[in-house]
Amino acid sequence: MRLPVAVKVGAFALVVMGTYTYYANSIPQIQSKPPAELSLEGGNVTPAQLVKAGEEIFHTKGTCEICHRIGQKGTRAPDLAGIGARAGKTKPGMSAKQYIIESLLQPGAYLVEGYPNIMPQVDKPPIALNRSEVWALTAFLESQGGNVDVTLDDIPKTAGATAGGAPAEIKIPGDPKAGEVVFSTKGACIACHKAGKIGASPVGPDLSQIAKIQTPDYIMKKILDPAGSGTVAGFPKGVMPPMFGQTLTAKEYVDLVAFLLTLK
Amino acid sequence: MVALLTLLSALPALAQDAAKEPAYRAFPLIGSRLAVWAIAQLHLNFAAFILGVPIFAVIIEIIGWRTGDAQYDWLSHEFVKLTFAAFSTTALLGALLLFLFIGYYPKFWTYMTSIFFPTYGVYAALFFAETFTVYIWYYGWDWLSGSRKWIHVSLGVLSNVFGTAILLVANSWVTFMISPAGVDESGALKGSVWAAINNFTWMPINIHRLIANIVFGGTIAAAYAAFRFLGAKTDEERARYDWMGYIGNFVALSAFIVLPFAGYYLGREIYAFNQTMGITMMGGFMSWLWIIQAILIGVLFMGSNYYLWLGMERIPGSERYRRYVPMLIGILAFGFMVWATPRSMVITLDEARAMGGTHHPVLGFLGVMSAKNTAVNMMILTTFLSFVLYRRANKVSTKPWVGTGMAIQWAALGLAAAVVIFFGVYGYFVESLVRIGFSVYQVLAVLGAIFVVMAIDIPMFKGARSTGAIRWGTIAPRSQYVLILLAVTFTWLMGLMGFARSGIRQHWHVYGIMRDNSVDAVTPAIGYAANMITVVTIAFFALVLFIFWLGGLGEKGRAEAHGHAAPVIAGGSDRRP
Ligand code: HEC
Ligand code: HEC
Ligand code: HEM
Repeated sequence: MRLPVAVKVGAFALVVMGTYTYYANSIPQIQSKPPAELSLEGGNVTPAQLVKAGEEIFHTKGTCEICHRIGQKGTRAPDLAGIGARAGKTKPGMSAKQYIIESLLQPGAYLVEGYPNIMPQVDKPPIALNRSEVWALTAFLESQGGNVDVTLDDIPKTAGATAGGAPAEIKIPGDPKAGEVVFSTKGACIACHKAGKIGASPVGPDLSQIAKIQTPDYIMKKILDPAGSGTVAGFPKGVMPPMFGQTLTAKEYVDLVAFLLTLK
Repeated sequence: MVALLTLLSALPALAQDAAKEPAYRAFPLIGSRLAVWAIAQLHLNFAAFILGVPIFAVIIEIIGWRTGDAQYDWLSHEFVKLTFAAFSTTALLGALLLFLFIGYYPKFWTYMTSIFFPTYGVYAALFFAETFTVYIWYYGWDWLSGSRKWIHVSLGVLSNVFGTAILLVANSWVTFMISPAGVDESGALKGSVWAAINNFTWMPINIHRLIANIVFGGTIAAAYAAFRFLGAKTDEERARYDWMGYIGNFVALSAFIVLPFAGYYLGREIYAFNQTMGITMMGGFMSWLWIIQAILIGVLFMGSNYYLWLGMERIPGSERYRRYVPMLIGILAFGFMVWATPRSMVITLDEARAMGGTHHPVLGFLGVMSAKNTAVNMMILTTFLSFVLYRRANKVSTKPWVGTGMAIQWAALGLAAAVVIFFGVYGYFVESLVRIGFSVYQVLAVLGAIFVVMAIDIPMFKGARSTGAIRWGTIAPRSQYVLILLAVTFTWLMGLMGFARSGIRQHWHVYGIMRDNSVDAVTPAIGYAANMITVVTIAFFALVLFIFWLGGLGEKGRAEAHGHAAPVIAGGSDRRP
């Protein structure tokens, strides 16, 4: 007896899907678990427990390993082995814990040379660590070659408080139109930078998308203190003039920043 | 339909009460997530079908109208008939999905409503307009024929305008969940809803989906034809469905070859929205998913080529070209291997350095796609070559310049291949920043070659001497299984990508804004997802069979509805598709 077409076609389709399903089940199975909340405020924790908790966060909720490894180079972000030891020497006047906390809460404030500014603020969504978790994480990072001396009070009260709170977007009161004029006249930024339709100089980085790739904080700081904000990879250090803080008036400065923030 | 409208009008009241409601309810037995997953995927499958098919149905109708060839008119009508049969199921599934959201994810739905309420009315109105237009389009086929045909064609075009608009509205909701925009950190709308609609992934997903839907429609229509072919009793029927399957596959293939480009654009925008999300997608817990995607795409390329080669056998004169087949297989197989190589598409430190620090964080990941870009471009060229050989299988050009013409064609193809490979290899010796630009040259070379070859081919074979007519209906039956393979694979691929789209949000309903606090917040591993996709895909095909059967579309030997006689496509007809 000949099988009806529907049966043959059906069996064929099932075999095809079965093959795909079998294959999908035979490769590594990775789930993505939602992170659990950790609260240590008010409790008594030993440094060892803290480090342990921090390590856990590093591997899970923090999702740090998407970019970082410990003791392994060549990933998207610096190797964090020995960070506890080197953190105290990275930025003059900043202790290890201060530097680490800054790296976590304002990753763009200081860029390790050669790396792009892609690290997310760990206390903001989507990672959204709370204050205790930032504390534990700092302790864990300190334990990588350094002393664990961080206390809960070292973590700013504002950390992790944004979940339902104020909008983080900084509203700059300046006038972008006036800022554009400053950019090409008094500021003379145009001598070194391109910004969208204006300018063409290759001396400094193209700023046409600066607001998209950098934080407002960073941009404001970079103008006042170019050397203290890290150097963009591939560009010479110390070329960007350091005296804009003195030469520009407050209004010009605010307008200029407002203009730069329109560049995305 | 009515249920849907009633529901929509009841929404504001529901939204007010929602504050007192629980955030989640549990769906009996299988849980809420699986329920929503299944219904959403089914709804999307049906929706993709009824939006994709009319796009080429109207094009085919226009061809029939302009050439006066009744055969195309019949085929277009046949396609619209399939669409029409699937309409109410789509609406039903949509309403069901809405029920599930309101009932089982009330808090989530209230939130979405708080942002998107203005779009709901638009959606309902568009759906109405779409249904109405397709209704007249379908039932007015005979009435609006002859000198009124232009009205009929316009209706077809109009229904596509509505269909595409529906897609745009629905996509705004989905994409907002992936890449929310226009809201503050607490999730409240800042300005107008437009900012929320026009978020990072909206346009890329619109484009990617629109194209994917055409491919999907084409493969399903071809599979339907294959099914009818295999069950056919007469040669005439076989000839007709062989031809229909061929056209369905042709449509699918033409749209399919642009899909990779749209995919890269989408991927790039996801990176632009959020690095972490992009990295999670391509290199994180989902990295294995892309290997499976690559395999499925490989199957699609191989299958379509195999179908064309089998199709040549029903064309007298094609012997001349069969010797090329091994070479084509070789290129495809090699391309497939490169494409499926599990090199995660991740930026490494060196690449980041080469990119110049902060300056191209977004485009960077495209750069390392050098090898894959090359592979997929070669596969596209090869598939195109298969098609060209197929086209001329039974033709001998009578033009005096045929030698030159052919030489130029081969040169164009060779040049394109050389450009693709050159930039693929050279890409390894330059900075990513430069390399990114290369993929554009590769695409341009391929498109350019396609254009040049076709521009010569069409006049060259105009009025060509025939070595014999295409013997429609004599194609080997296994070719029809290839068509079914393509449809099944593509449907499964859609399910898989649906999982990718929802999975990248991980434990978020709305990424970074509204957390998933339900028991189902874990994003399952690929095996679990695959099981689910298979179950839903089976359900989809079962439903399709059932609906087509209900609609009488499965009746043997009666391919015509209300006096629409099927034209005879004799085994010996010399029609050129
Ligand atoms: C999207 C990728 C990404 C993720 C996720 C990420 N980082 Fe980073 N991180 C970077 C990059 C790139 C740098 C170097 C540039 C800079 O200084 O911001 C960096 C720098 C750092 C530094 C300073 C390193 C040094 O050598 O001075 C620390 C500490 C750090 N990250 C910790 C973490 C921790 C802890 C997490 C998880 C909560 C994390 N990062 C998540 C990309 C990431
Ligand atoms: C003499 C040339 C020069 C002038 C004038 C100059 N810059 Fe720069 N700028 C540079 C160079 C070089 C760099 C990259 C090296 C570095 O990071 O210090 C840079 C970097 C920057 C960056 C960081 C870009 C990034 O991607 O992180 C910003 C922002 C910036 N400049 C803004 C300005 C503004 C605003 C002005 C005008 C008030 C200005 N610059 C004037 C040379 C200049
Ligand atoms: C040959 C290449 C490709 C094919 C055949 C393909 C096919 C598909 C299909 C069929 C869908 C489902 C569309 C729908 O639901 O209506 C889809 C969605 C998707 N694709 Fe692709 N794709 C390709 C390339 C890519 C690439 C390169 C990326 C990313 C880097 C990508 C990312 C996605 C994502 C995230 C979705 C989900 C979006 C949605 O729901 O529509 N695709 N793709």
